[in-house]
Amino acid sequence: MTTLQSDSRKTDLRRKVATLGKPRKATYVVLAIFVLGSLFPFYWSFLVASRDNGMLTERIPPFVPGGNFFANAARVFDTVPFWKALANSVIVSGTVTLTTVLFSSLAGFAFAKLRFRGRNKLFVFIVVTLAVPTQLGIIPLFIAMSELGWTGSLTAVIVPNLVTAFGVFWMRQYTVDALPYELIEAARVDGCSMIRIFWNVCLPAVRPAAAILAMFTFMMSWNDFLWPLVVLDAGNPTVQVALEKLQSGYYVDYSLVLAGTTLATIPILIVFVLLGRQIVAGIMQGAVKG
Amino acid sequence: MRTIRNGLVLALGITMTALGATACGSGGDETPPAAGPNEHVDLTLATFTEFGYEALIPEYERLHPNIKITHRKTGQGGPYHEDLITKLAAGSGLADVTAVEEGHLSDVLDKGSKFNDLSKIGPADASPDRWLSWKYDAAKTKDGKVIGYGTDIGPLAMCYRKDMFKAAGLPDDPEAVKPLFATWDSYFAAGADFVKKSGGKAWFDSAAQNFNAMVNQLPEGYIGTDDKLAVESNQGIKDAWTKVTDAVAKGESAKLTAFSNEWNTGFKQGAFATKVCPAWMLGVIKEQAGPENAGKWAVTAAFPGGGGNWGGSYLTVPTQSKHPKEAAELAAWLTAPEQQIKAFQAKGTFPSQVKALTDPALLSKTDDYFGGTKVGELFAEQAKKVQKPQYKGPGDGQIQENASSPALQAVEQGKSAADGWNQMVEAAKKITR
Amino acid sequence: MTVLDKVAPEGSKAGERTSPRPTFRHRLSRWDVKVSPYLYIAPFFILFGIVGLFPLLYTAYVSLFKWEAGTDHPDFIGLDNFKELFADAQFWNALTNTISIFLLSSVPQIIIAVLLAALLGARLRGATGWRVGILLPYAASLVAIGIIFANLFGPKYGLINGVLQTIGLDPVDWQASRFGSHVAIAIMVNWRWTGYNALIVLAAMQAIPKELHEAALIDGAGTWRRFWNVTLPLLRPTLVFVTITSTIGGLQIFTEPKLFDAMPGSNNGGSTNQFQTVTLYLYQTAFQNADLGYASAIAWVLFVIIVLIALVNFFLTGRIARPQAVKTK
Repeated sequence: MTTLQSDSRKTDLRRKVATLGKPRKATYVVLAIFVLGSLFPFYWSFLVASRDNGMLTERIPPFVPGGNFFANAARVFDTVPFWKALANSVIVSGTVTLTTVLFSSLAGFAFAKLRFRGRNKLFVFIVVTLAVPTQLGIIPLFIAMSELGWTGSLTAVIVPNLVTAFGVFWMRQYTVDALPYELIEAARVDGCSMIRIFWNVCLPAVRPAAAILAMFTFMMSWNDFLWPLVVLDAGNPTVQVALEKLQSGYYVDYSLVLAGTTLATIPILIVFVLLGRQIVAGIMQGAVKG
Repeated sequence: MRTIRNGLVLALGITMTALGATACGSGGDETPPAAGPNEHVDLTLATFTEFGYEALIPEYERLHPNIKITHRKTGQGGPYHEDLITKLAAGSGLADVTAVEEGHLSDVLDKGSKFNDLSKIGPADASPDRWLSWKYDAAKTKDGKVIGYGTDIGPLAMCYRKDMFKAAGLPDDPEAVKPLFATWDSYFAAGADFVKKSGGKAWFDSAAQNFNAMVNQLPEGYIGTDDKLAVESNQGIKDAWTKVTDAVAKGESAKLTAFSNEWNTGFKQGAFATKVCPAWMLGVIKEQAGPENAGKWAVTAAFPGGGGNWGGSYLTVPTQSKHPKEAAELAAWLTAPEQQIKAFQAKGTFPSQVKALTDPALLSKTDDYFGGTKVGELFAEQAKKVQKPQYKGPGDGQIQENASSPALQAVEQGKSAADGWNQMVEAAKKITR
Repeated sequence: MTVLDKVAPEGSKAGERTSPRPTFRHRLSRWDVKVSPYLYIAPFFILFGIVGLFPLLYTAYVSLFKWEAGTDHPDFIGLDNFKELFADAQFWNALTNTISIFLLSSVPQIIIAVLLAALLGARLRGATGWRVGILLPYAASLVAIGIIFANLFGPKYGLINGVLQTIGLDPVDWQASRFGSHVAIAIMVNWRWTGYNALIVLAAMQAIPKELHEAALIDGAGTWRRFWNVTLPLLRPTLVFVTITSTIGGLQIFTEPKLFDAMPGSNNGGSTNQFQTVTLYLYQTAFQNADLGYASAIAWVLFVIIVLIALVNFFLTGRIARPQAVKTK
């Protein structure tokens, strides 16, 4: 095909291919608007946290931070067992994230690439469980946890979230196209066991999806409120449960509340940045290329 | 596959035992024996917002070395009472001493069998004469069980903007304004006058705030003593509705939903001139109106139609408790006058105990934001004006929150008073069906 | 269920090859192939058995009773809760609100998410920053979101009404107006969830081999045609995922309408239930009215409705991005 084309057309095409995926200025502008819109509540929270409650009832709020942030943060530490709660939340969200990603990837791999009896039915079943409204589940779940004797401990918050239907569904959908059969075949020929194929072939290929699932799961778990409130003991809260205590009294001191929220957001941002790097086309750019 | 089946078998097992446990496993009727005097006892205490008990708990543990108290504190009443319903329904998990807010009391009284009768298991010094009688009697079930010890109250007075009164040519001295706040008729008439003279400024913040107080003053409320819905048959409710919605039609309402964001802003903007004012509202006004409005707000010892109460709580001992006797002792101690005065000093919770209301620490309390008024004495006086408690039948609290308040909000948003009335009646019927 | 069938082509039973003499190793390997899939999906089902199944059965059981929270003697009433529900105007009102808010939010949200993902897929400087940036709303605290949106959509002192009046338009009572409140809530939903969906789509887009785009380019396909003929078909499993999860999430919408209500903590969805969703109604019935039997009936009916609508969406998505297109290369 190339032989029929003139040289100039060839260079033209090559240039085109080279510019493929190169962003225009407008791309940055549009994205900047979105990111500013996304950042606003965080900046605003910090503004309130660095000033006092009066800011909220001003018609034209100030746009530069005040000097009270550290004073307000200190009040947070005085009012609630922040470090203990932070440690609990890290344990809960960390564990839940790890297991959800692992179990969801495993199940996703099985549903997407392995054949077994009842596969489709079981998969549909999982997707259907997503549609169960969760609001009411808290009462029977509490009964179940009391029967198991887990109320009061972090186990009661961790166990119900070890793996989610959402995670399995997502990993399966991603694995379907991201993992070519040729790779699995090749590994089988090399005598790899299934679990090695999962670990060495599948997992690297689905890394971006796993990273996204990890971000979502961590967030979800970190911000979970009503269930930990109901099931945990007073001295053993997660961050959200502890922070809720800042909203006591007949009026809410938002500079205090938002100082607490700002502090509690920092770990999430760290996790986001660490995982954000993983969202690149994993194996596709390397191993599969050939 | 076997693992799956095992899992299912396990789940079914749990399902069966748990279903069995809830269907017939209430079993809390027989009171467990009290622990010996030196036996170690763990108690849990659950409260929400600020009860002012933080310093009292270690004190109690010092007095009772065998008792260890875990304080489970929730910030907001909303999630707190949702948690309460969850554990009531699940049949386990409630704290030995569980606080219940006055607005939720009707729901709890309805499930009286789930709470211990404190007049039976409580210590002798927690006798009825410790409390204002209306406070004590409100926690009695129909069959005479006392399920809660009163903690604090929210006696009603009137708060108003001196500067706005003055500008409209009304009297602004706390004594001189009292006639305006003598009855609801005089209150709304003064409001109509104020709206005219001030060029259309609002008299009160929201219709529901007044309506709730008016209904609470009636001999009977939304639910009659026969536990039947009385919204339509109770003429007093209809009259209150007519008065309030007339006032809305005359432009007296600022139409700001209580505790909403815009309501908060309304304090700073001077959006209304008067406010139904329970004791705890002073803190709200101070916070929302801010230092720039200091001295503009005043409070007076008068309330249309006599007196009233809004807010305050009770300490209950659910039958789920394994140590009801010790729990009742703790609840009784916490709600004794000496302790409630300390709680008042710590967090401003206004005591409901007769002796506490004459305590010098309370009577000498003044508030500079409200022009140095002796607020302790003022609200103690208001507390004594409250008539006997109104019987709160099952669903009463929900009718106020989910039937009358939204219906009045709808009227303020443009619905006709007649349509609003129908909306309230329908919603109330649904709640009590 | 076409999408499920296309997963494993015939004859690709991984690893199953006939060998003349089954060795121990071989038998082990066959056993591995047979059992592994079940082991891999087991964690979900075991967990579901422990914490998912019981609530489901419990709710079904309770829905047949007149069951107040904490009651000693629930009355068995058969299907009366369901009969009452189907005649309950408040339920139908809530369902209408839910579907209206769902349509106002999910449709624009998915379209914007796909376009946003296309932008994010470019070779950006500081790519991680942009990606994390658009996911941030998902991490924002509900307290902050509640106040910010109340400040934006306040009927009296709100910023948006301020702007409307400045440019000479009539202010909108975002709380009182039914449609207005739905729009405001949909904006809130979209603000929170668009970035989240964009990131999901982005991950799938990144998995598309660059060679496909290059080949299409050489064939003379423009940006739009490449997007339509290469990107979209390959995104099919992901679009199915996004559509179904947004449908389910959208029909269970709870947090945003609850936060939006001017009366803090209220489950009423406005003064005349103008923006009460089914889950809010369910929540109110269970945790305020303590009417667990009726709430359970609502939960089950909502569950069935969601499954039905998700199925419809599943087939619709299947039509938009047809699998055949994948094979053109």
